[in-house]
Amino acid sequence: MELENLTIASLRNKLIQGEFSAAELTKEYIKSIHENDESIGAFLEVFEETAKVNAEEIDARILKGEELPPLAGVPLAIKDNLLIKGTRTTAASHILESYDASYDATVTEKLRSAGAVFLGKTNLDEFAMGASTEHSAFGVTKNPYDTERVAGGSSGGSAAAVAAQMALGAIGSDTGGSIRQPAAFCGVVGMKPTYGAVSRSGLIAMASSLDQIGPLGKTVEDVAILYDAIRGKDPYDATSVETDPVRIFNLERVKKFTVGVPKEYFIDGLHEEVQRGVEEAITKLKTLGVKFKEISLPHTRYAISTYYIVMPAEVSSNLARFDGIRYARSPHISRTHADLTRKYAENDERIPRDSANPRWSALWEIYFRQRGREFGAEVRRRILLGTFVLSSGYYDAYYTKAQKVRQLIARDFSEAFKEVDVVLAPVTPTPAFKIGEKSDDPLAMYLADVFTAPVNLAGLPSISIPVKKYKIGEKTLPIAFQLIGKHFHENDILSIGGWYEKE
Amino acid sequence: MKREDLEKLAELSRIELHSEEEEKLLRDLGKVLDYFRELQKLPTDDVLPVTGGTSATNAIREDELDMHIPGNAARAAFPEQEDGYLVIPPVFSTEGGFSSGEE
Repeated sequence: MELENLTIASLRNKLIQGEFSAAELTKEYIKSIHENDESIGAFLEVFEETAKVNAEEIDARILKGEELPPLAGVPLAIKDNLLIKGTRTTAASHILESYDASYDATVTEKLRSAGAVFLGKTNLDEFAMGASTEHSAFGVTKNPYDTERVAGGSSGGSAAAVAAQMALGAIGSDTGGSIRQPAAFCGVVGMKPTYGAVSRSGLIAMASSLDQIGPLGKTVEDVAILYDAIRGKDPYDATSVETDPVRIFNLERVKKFTVGVPKEYFIDGLHEEVQRGVEEAITKLKTLGVKFKEISLPHTRYAISTYYIVMPAEVSSNLARFDGIRYARSPHISRTHADLTRKYAENDERIPRDSANPRWSALWEIYFRQRGREFGAEVRRRILLGTFVLSSGYYDAYYTKAQKVRQLIARDFSEAFKEVDVVLAPVTPTPAFKIGEKSDDPLAMYLADVFTAPVNLAGLPSISIPVKKYKIGEKTLPIAFQLIGKHFHENDILSIGGWYEKE
Repeated sequence: MKREDLEKLAELSRIELHSEEEEKLLRDLGKVLDYFRELQKLPTDDVLPVTGGTSATNAIREDELDMHIPGNAARAAFPEQEDGYLVIPPVFSTEGGFSSGEE
């Protein structure tokens, strides 16, 4: 079976016409995972048995001639920070290494009732904190185009799975670029919907005012189909709202759009191939008849500072629930004091207990040790940073200041949207970087979010679309651009992207 | 950031610091905080701070019981149980503890 040219959009007819069955297709993807994932590392777990059973249920419905749900038999990869009832959900962290989800995320439930088949859970930076999937507690996900390079992050596993034909589509989450950046690095399409367009119930929270779940796929059309299946108001997420059904506008309407190109996104340090890629995308859209206009988003340069204050602040609060006692119990903790003492004695000579500290207790020590050991370095760093910017004496200078600048960044976009319908920009300053290149330097890694984080700060929808590949040595690397829309105007960016793709 | 500041933050965050990485952590956090200084130059006196991801207000619902996650399913997610009780490590002790080797 040829997986490379298969799309979600084309699958339905193939299943109905009996070209192959859903079970055969799932088997083919499982085979592809077995063959390819050893060198990529996209999956943390593969649901070989349940995927087969779910696909056979779809086949039975086809045989009976039943009306098929929109994602019937579509094999999907799910980021491992989304809950699937009864299965391990780790957020790629040791602290959740043995946690089994007790309920379905709303997105999981919607995909399930739409007939999707879950192939497995994909790797991510621990708790979605990173831009390279190097910060996973369970290994690095490599870029299918060049395994010496990162897949991007934090949804690196989901992007690599789609790029390496190990899933027909995938679900990720995007807090500061975590869908769009890995999609760009792996040459697939990825969309971060408007804040509130997709329910976050059952997503392990990182930064609640920025997190958003979204789809990844091979084409804009596939991403549109997946988005349509997961969007909408949900009683379990009070910030969610009902949105328009997906509609791809006709070319006449698309031609009436004006696209803004922000001059602040063409900075020193923008890789020349990325610049060329964006120019190519603009040229192609101009031939479709779309109009362009230069715009200014003057506060863009402050987005990284703002984001890396607001996000860790929310992280420090959200991750307070991981105490090493609930959700999952580390083997370091056991029932009795004797067990506990023995385990610590075996593993550790240093007892940090500070009897001079009046607040010391066994509980206190459990928290310290569990959180100190089971969280990875980047997670610990962000919790500490977030605690700092929220602490008394620094709160106004950092946190309040950042929330004010966030207002200015959001205002930049709303001003721009008075003149243009959509904004076109690069997704990342560079193509996929080498594994290890930035992992030791947090600030360098943070700067990789410079073009994606402003969109989350403003709560806008944005889609990353591949434009070209360029040769580097023996390998080729994908380049992408993003289309940023007004709040809840997913249809604008999907329509422009859809027509771009067709031409 | 000074070492005492870092230790204070670690205490507030309930995170045990790894002695071998304290130096690097201080350096890294220092670099990031230095970078944040660019914000101080920006005048924001007349700007209202953002308070969340949405401008929606008053999301209300009926005050009805909803067994979205039934009690037993929620309990099943707890790592250790006995006779319907949740088992946790001993947490109330303020002396003895980890170093004594005795229960």
